Amino acid sequence: MKRWPRTLAWSLALIAATGAAGALFAKPPALSASAAPDLPVTFNRDIAPIIFRSCSSCHHPGEAGPFPLLTYSDVKKHARQIADVTQARTMPPWLPDPQPLKFDDELRLPHSQIDLIQRWVAQGAVEGDPADLPPQPKFVEGWRLGTPDLILTAPKPLVLPPEGTDTYWNFIFRLPIEQTRWMKAIEIHPGDKRYVHHANILVDRGASSRQREAEPGAGFGGMEIRIESQVFDPDSHLLFWKPGTVPYLEPDGMALRLDKGTDLILNTHMQPSGKPEVIQPSIGLYFTPQPATKFPMLLQLEDDAKLDIPPGQKDFLVTDQFTLPVDVDLLAIYPHAHYLGKDIQASATLPDGTSKALIHIPLWNLSWQAVYRYAEPVFLPKGTIVTLRYVYDNSADNPLNPNHPPVRVRSGNRSSDEMCHLWLQVLPVHNDAAQGDPRMLLQKALARHNIEKNPADFEAHYNLAAMLQAANKFEDAIREYDSALHLRPNDTAANNAMGAALLASGQPKTAVAYLSRALKTRPDYFSARYNLGNALAAQEDFAGAAEQFRLALQLQPDDADAEANLGSALAELGRFSEARAHFEHALQLNPNHALAKENLRALERATSQ
Amino acid sequence: MCSGFSAFRANRILLAATLVCLLTPGLAFSQHGAFDLDGKPANPFDAASGKIVVLVFLRRDCPVSSRYAAVIQQISTQHERDASFWLVFPDKAETQQTIEKYLREYAFHLPALRDPEHALVKLAQVQITPEVAVFNRNHQLIYHGRIDNLYLDLGRSRPAATTHELADALDATLAGKMPATNQVRGVGCYISDLQ
Repeated sequence: MKRWPRTLAWSLALIAATGAAGALFAKPPALSASAAPDLPVTFNRDIAPIIFRSCSSCHHPGEAGPFPLLTYSDVKKHARQIADVTQARTMPPWLPDPQPLKFDDELRLPHSQIDLIQRWVAQGAVEGDPADLPPQPKFVEGWRLGTPDLILTAPKPLVLPPEGTDTYWNFIFRLPIEQTRWMKAIEIHPGDKRYVHHANILVDRGASSRQREAEPGAGFGGMEIRIESQVFDPDSHLLFWKPGTVPYLEPDGMALRLDKGTDLILNTHMQPSGKPEVIQPSIGLYFTPQPATKFPMLLQLEDDAKLDIPPGQKDFLVTDQFTLPVDVDLLAIYPHAHYLGKDIQASATLPDGTSKALIHIPLWNLSWQAVYRYAEPVFLPKGTIVTLRYVYDNSADNPLNPNHPPVRVRSGNRSSDEMCHLWLQVLPVHNDAAQGDPRMLLQKALARHNIEKNPADFEAHYNLAAMLQAANKFEDAIREYDSALHLRPNDTAANNAMGAALLASGQPKTAVAYLSRALKTRPDYFSARYNLGNALAAQEDFAGAAEQFRLALQLQPDDADAEANLGSALAELGRFSEARAHFEHALQLNPNHALAKENLRALERATSQ
Repeated sequence: MCSGFSAFRANRILLAATLVCLLTPGLAFSQHGAFDLDGKPANPFDAASGKIVVLVFLRRDCPVSSRYAAVIQQISTQHERDASFWLVFPDKAETQQTIEKYLREYAFHLPALRDPEHALVKLAQVQITPEVAVFNRNHQLIYHGRIDNLYLDLGRSRPAATTHELADALDATLAGKMPATNQVRGVGCYISDLQ
C-alpha cells in the first residue's frame, strides 16, 4: 500500500525491458528500446510511462499538483516547463543525493528519463501512436487505506491570507477515545493540498499544547512546538505529510499507543495562493487490536547552541557526534533546518571503522523537507558514531535568507531563526531486561552528551534526571533536577518532578516546597496537586493531604489513585464513612485497584471492632 | 508592419510611424487579435490614449501567476490615474466563464482579455506567465518580463521580493526616463507550451 498500484502492464514490461537490455549496455538504457537516439520520441510510448509513474500521483485533481498531468494535452500544456524542472531536478521533488543506502519511495528520475523528456520537447512534443499509450493510473479517491476507524476534523478552519510570507499553524485534535487504542496508520488530509506544503503530527500525552490556544479548538501559530511530557514515553513515530505522501502502515508490532486524553497536534506549513484559502485539515486513524511489541524511539541530534551565525558568513559549519550506547536498527531519518541551511549531511562511523552515508542533501530547501524511511533497516552496532554536518549560508547571496540585508542569526523557533536538528527513528535490536529499557539508555546517553556540549541545556538535565528517577536513582536524579532548576527556577514540570524525587527518597518536607512552587505557577496542575497530597500525608498532615486530593479530583474526577488516597487520608482522620465512599468510587473507576481494596478491608476491620 | 500594435524600440523614425499607426488602430489586429470577455475584438491601446499601458499575462493553471494576484491589483491601484492595466489570458481554451470565475476568486478588478492567437504575447515579447509588458505614454514597449524577484525558480521563492521590476519601470516612465533594465525573464509557466 505504500505506492499507488504498480501492477500496471507497462510497469511490468518496463522492468523486463531494462532487465534484458541492462546486460548489453554499460549505460542504463532509456525507457524503451524504441527511444534509441535516432528514433523520434513520442508521448504515448516514451513519456507517458514516466509521467504516470513519477508525476501523476500528485498532479491529478484533488492532490497537491497545481495542474493535472494525466493526458497528452495536460502534459503538452506544460511540456517545456516539465523539461526545465526535471532537468533542474526541481521536480519531482527529491532532495537527497543518490547513495548506497536506499530510501523508500525515491522520487529521483534517472538521467535517461530526463534526457528523454528533453528530446521529446526538442522534437516538438509529439503525441505518437495511440496504441502505445499505457493505461492511465487509477487513484483511490478519499481515504487511501479505506474508511478509517476514526476520522477527526480540525474544530476550526484557518483562513490563509492571500499574500505574504509562509504561515505556520498548529491544529489540535482531541482524541474522543475512552480507552487505549493502538494506531497502525494515520492518513493526514491537510486541507487543500495545493497550499499546505508539509505537515507533522506530534503526540501530546499531557495536554500541554491546549494552553496555547486562545480558545478551545482555535489552534495556535508557530513553526516549532515543544511538547512537555510528564513520564518517559518517547514519541516513537514520525507522522509526516508532504505532497505525494501515501499513508504509511507501521510494520508488525510497531503500533503507536493512544490513550484517553491524548491530543494529536498537526503542525502545518502553508504558502499563500493569491486568494484567501480556508484550510481545515482532517485525519483518519486506523487501529489494530495488536498492542505494540516493538518500541522504536526518536533520537534527536542537534547543536542549536552553536548556531550563532554572523551576517555575511557563507559557510557556517555545525557538527554534532553521538555514540550509540546500544545496537539499533535505523528506520528513518528526518533532517531539519530553516532558510539558511544549505548543505545537510549525516553519516555513521561503525566500530570497525567503516563509514555509511545516511543522507546528503546538497541544496537544502525547507519547503520540501521530508521524513526519509530506509528501504531496509540500517543496522548500527553499539559504539557507532553518528555525525551530523550542516552548513549554513547567512550571506546576501542566499536568496532564501529571511533577512535583507543579513543579520546575526541564532537558534530559535521562528522561521527567521535557525535550527540544527536531525531526528533518527531507531529500534533497539536487543532487549536485555537486566540492562533496562534500551530506550532509556539511549535517552540517558543523549542527555549526558547534550550536557557535555552545553551545560546550560535545561532539557538535557531534566531528561537525564527523569531517566535516573525511573531507574530509582533518586539522589542522582535530585542532583540533575537541581541543575535544571538552577537554569529555570520556576519551571513547573521540573519543580513537580523534583518534588516527586524528594518524596520518593524520603524527604517529604523539602518536597512540599518544590511542589508548592509548581502549583504557584500552575494551580491546575493535577500531578503536582496529587504529589503534594502525598508529601503532606507522608508528614502525617492528613487534613492538608485530603484537601490537596480533593483539589486534584476537581481537576481529574476519574483518577482512581487520587480517590483511593483521599479515602486513605480521610480514614486516617477517622472519617470512615466518607473514606469508604471514596474507596468504593476508586474501585468503580478501577475494579482492580489494590490499595483501595486493601484499605476497604482494613476499614471494615476497623469499624467492626 | 503597421499593425497598430507593433512593438518598437526607441528609434525615432519608427516611433513616428507608431504614432501614426496608433491613429488608425486595430484593423490588421482585429482578425487575429485579442478579445474582451464578450468575445469582441479588443485593443487595449485604443482605450488608453496618452496613458501608460501594462499588459499582465496570466495562466489560470499557473500557480505562480495566481500568487501574484494581490501584488498586481495593488500596483494597478497605485497607478490607476496614469496607467491602464489589462490581464491577458493566452490560453485559447479559456472562456468568458472560466476567466470571470477566476477573476472573482482572486479578487481582480481589472479588465481581462483573451489572446488566443498570441498577438499580444508577440507584441509584448513575453514568454512566461506571469510576465508583464509596460508601454509608455507613447505606447512604446519599455519593459517586459517578471513583476519582481519573489521566485528564484519553480521550487523556491524568497521570503519577500527584493527587486521590483514592474514598479520600477512604472516609476521610471512616469519620471520621463527609461527603466534601468528593459527585460528580465520571469519564473513560471511557458506561454509557448500553449501552442
